[in-house]
Amino acid sequence: MTNIKSFTTIGLDNLLTEFSQVTSFRKIKQMNLTSLARVSFLSTSFTSRTLNRSLAYRPISCSSLSHTPTSLNPNLPLFLRPPTFTATVSDLKKWQNWAKSLALSVGSSFADSDNGPDSDILHRELNWLIEDTLESPKSLLLSEHDAVLTLRAELGDLYSLWKQRIEKRRPFQYIVGCEHWRDLVLSVEEGVLIPRPETELIIDLVDDAIKQNVELKNGMWVDLGTGSGALAIGIGRILGDSVRVTAIDLSPIAVQVASFNVNRYNLQDKISVKQGSWFDPLSEFEGKLAGIVSNPPYIPSEHINGLQAEVGRHEPLLALDGGENGMKDLLHLCNGVALMLKSGGFFAFETNGENQCLFLVQHMETVHHGRFYNLKIVPDFAGIRRFVTGIRS
Amino acid sequence: MKPTAWEDAAIVKGRKTLFLLRQYLKSKGASEPMGWARFASTWIWIWNWWEPAVLELELVQPVPVPNPKIWDLVGPVPVPNPKIWDLVPAGYLFQFRPVPTKSDQFQFRPVPVPDPKTRDPPVPIPVPDPEKKTNFVSPPDYRLQSQYFPAMRTGSMSPSPIAHRSMPSSLCRAEKPSVTATFLYSRSVFPLSTSLSLPSPCHSKVLFATPDADVSSETGVWAMQDFYTLRKEVEATSSRVEEIRASAGLEQLAEELTKLENATGSDSFWDDRTSAQQTLVALTDIKDKINLLSDFQSQIDDAETIVNLTEEMDSTDTALLEEAATIVKELNKALDKFELSQLLSGPYDKEGAIINITAGAGGTDAQDWADMLLRMYVRWGERQRYKTRVVEKSMGEEAGIKSATIEVEGRYAFGYLSGEKGTHRIVRQSPFNAKGLRQTSFSGVEVMPLLPEDSLNVEIPEEDLQIGFSRAGGSGGQNVNKVETAVRITHIPTGVTVRCTEERSQLANKIKALSRLKAKLLVIAVEQRATEIKQIRGDAVKADWGQQIRNYVFHPYKLVKDVRTGFETTDIVSVMDGELDPFIKSYLRYKYAESMNN
Repeated sequence: MTNIKSFTTIGLDNLLTEFSQVTSFRKIKQMNLTSLARVSFLSTSFTSRTLNRSLAYRPISCSSLSHTPTSLNPNLPLFLRPPTFTATVSDLKKWQNWAKSLALSVGSSFADSDNGPDSDILHRELNWLIEDTLESPKSLLLSEHDAVLTLRAELGDLYSLWKQRIEKRRPFQYIVGCEHWRDLVLSVEEGVLIPRPETELIIDLVDDAIKQNVELKNGMWVDLGTGSGALAIGIGRILGDSVRVTAIDLSPIAVQVASFNVNRYNLQDKISVKQGSWFDPLSEFEGKLAGIVSNPPYIPSEHINGLQAEVGRHEPLLALDGGENGMKDLLHLCNGVALMLKSGGFFAFETNGENQCLFLVQHMETVHHGRFYNLKIVPDFAGIRRFVTGIRS
Repeated sequence: MKPTAWEDAAIVKGRKTLFLLRQYLKSKGASEPMGWARFASTWIWIWNWWEPAVLELELVQPVPVPNPKIWDLVGPVPVPNPKIWDLVPAGYLFQFRPVPTKSDQFQFRPVPVPDPKTRDPPVPIPVPDPEKKTNFVSPPDYRLQSQYFPAMRTGSMSPSPIAHRSMPSSLCRAEKPSVTATFLYSRSVFPLSTSLSLPSPCHSKVLFATPDADVSSETGVWAMQDFYTLRKEVEATSSRVEEIRASAGLEQLAEELTKLENATGSDSFWDDRTSAQQTLVALTDIKDKINLLSDFQSQIDDAETIVNLTEEMDSTDTALLEEAATIVKELNKALDKFELSQLLSGPYDKEGAIINITAGAGGTDAQDWADMLLRMYVRWGERQRYKTRVVEKSMGEEAGIKSATIEVEGRYAFGYLSGEKGTHRIVRQSPFNAKGLRQTSFSGVEVMPLLPEDSLNVEIPEEDLQIGFSRAGGSGGQNVNKVETAVRITHIPTGVTVRCTEERSQLANKIKALSRLKAKLLVIAVEQRATEIKQIRGDAVKADWGQQIRNYVFHPYKLVKDVRTGFETTDIVSVMDGELDPFIKSYLRYKYAESMNN
């Protein structure tokens, strides 16, 4: 059984169509050597047949692609990989045109079904994928048809990556292994929440808070549930030299990825990344923190099933599911903030929208009466009341 | 005109996809993109900008359809005569060729299916009939087709006699060794030579060439015809000089000059050093300009005298005529340069440009039109050797684009393009409805200078800005994962709006959009002669930027006409291929004349 499993992960991972997977697993149940051999033959021939239609150069094994969610070594984002592959302009254009028509076939069907991306967005993603893949993105425009370009991924891999994007709805950011967030380019991979553009605003909120109270610059800041480390790095870059930030996440992958990103921005002296649940690793800092920010899981459990496929099927549930009403973690954070912040300390949380904001503010005003002032609800750029901020009295 | 063109036919055999087909067409000399092509399950149909159905072909074997959805979603393709497909038996190989311009002249020629066993099946290639070729004189739209299928003209077409005749004789003469003129010129003892030998940059080169080369015997004979051409040229140049001198406002310049000279003569002139400096600079500028203008006059006078003398003397002095020709040639160059420097004197004219094209209302037709404009400007940029980059493009549902942004880097790109802003209107037979009805569509073009970041030291108060972020619906936040991070900024007092979608993060888009907004406001401020952004009148912006500036009529006749300058041409194909220079130049002249009148 294990043999077969490893065969499928190494050799055919992501490439097998559902059909062949079903076939192989049904056969595997029989645990019969002959049929096992036949299965492997069947699936390989199936794969190569599907591929041959559009690509001749795709090797059957594609280990470079296989993303195992439990891996502890962060994958290098595409744009940082060494440009060790080559392809001619015409071959790359052939792939580009194929990918374009695949994107075009989507139309608005994803958007209609679950508010997913439409062809327009997919085309844009395709351009970015090319941008990340090519060593010099302009060379595609300038070169002759038979010129050879240097790529950061094999052309065959590009075919399967784009197929994953469209057919499996694998998020674009996982495909290229990075997300552009504010002025940062953060490495992301399966198991780590892709930072959202809304969250960019928290950095501005922190910036405003520091302007009002310069002392906050010198204290310890905490990003709870850091994921890719976006908030911690963003804060680390605006706070200046004296800053100390602790980024905390329960997920070991997130800790790995966040550390990678912190190192990439050369902030390892200012930001420490720790594994643990919320405030657990912070017991020594009780009542001493200058600021706390968090983008905790806040989607109500009952909404998880209806999520956009890119989110629901691929992003870590741990970073999304906020329990009943989505308030489980937010409330926990609220109570923790009252305990951990020093006087004058600032906090900012992201929420699922107006209801959660109102509930939080009400909770703080009643349960933690008098402990906070300047409680504010801040809308995001789409006008949805997204953030709750406040200052510890 | 009957379609003659099976000899021009090409064959696509076997499993050729659209892309191979494109490559094939390009190898045939067709320019990219050929309009575009659409697949149905078994046939491909390509059309071009101006005519529905330029090529059609049927494939031997249907293209294997990897994902039936792709083809379904392409949607119904407008076919001028849908019944024509009923006549086509399935599984045949067809030749394809340019369809004659009238859609009722569709023709098909089925060929038997080749034996699939042979690797390279024999395909019946029509034998060119030499008889026919000589008869192929000039179909109504020969130029249109030849533009896109130059390879099909394979040598059988001699250059049109008309074109040959109308070729300016100066071009022919230019091939003669220029030493002739030089030598004779410097030897000339004609009384006028004193004024001619004034140090002028125009003919400094010729003056110093060696006088030893005596090649005049070979080329020295001037036909009367050449003389008349020369006379004509001299006359044209003379009126051009007059025009330029008039539009430059010589009298005003003279007035200004005396005023400035009086100022420098006053006792208190050097009291304020900076203003004195400025006055002196202005004085030299005006003096230079007046000198240049009188230089033009004296040169054209010389040329005219030569022409008049030749006429009176009844004998041709080759040396003199060569001299006049040189003067005219150099003078025209100098005039061009002068004009351009006058026309492109705006503060941002020498910068690069951002062109923003937006499809007007009217669905697919307008979106297709926007796409055509996009191609036109990209072509223009390439012709000018500018670095042209489409930074953003939002595709239309069925065809064409909803909007696009082009960045053009290069000197004077903005100066040239600034006159392109406004609404462009197209009239044509719609390729998107089955009846091919005449259809009018609009697209808007905006042009902004591509200013370096540090030159945008304008502060716009935060409360004057309305910043919108496109974030596709739902509850946002963690619920949605979309790379769409478009930012749209409106300057509330003026209503000026910009959009930026090409960057990969919200913040980057916002920064870029803001700098574009500033650039746009700065240009508007210059246009309205406002000293600062606060003074811009919003109502004027709306009226000005939405103004219809040019008509492109593809049907029932072919004409491109600029509404403002009245400049027009029937060569619509060249215009769509980026031949915009006549329009740009005429607009710049128009703008210059306008500013002089005010």
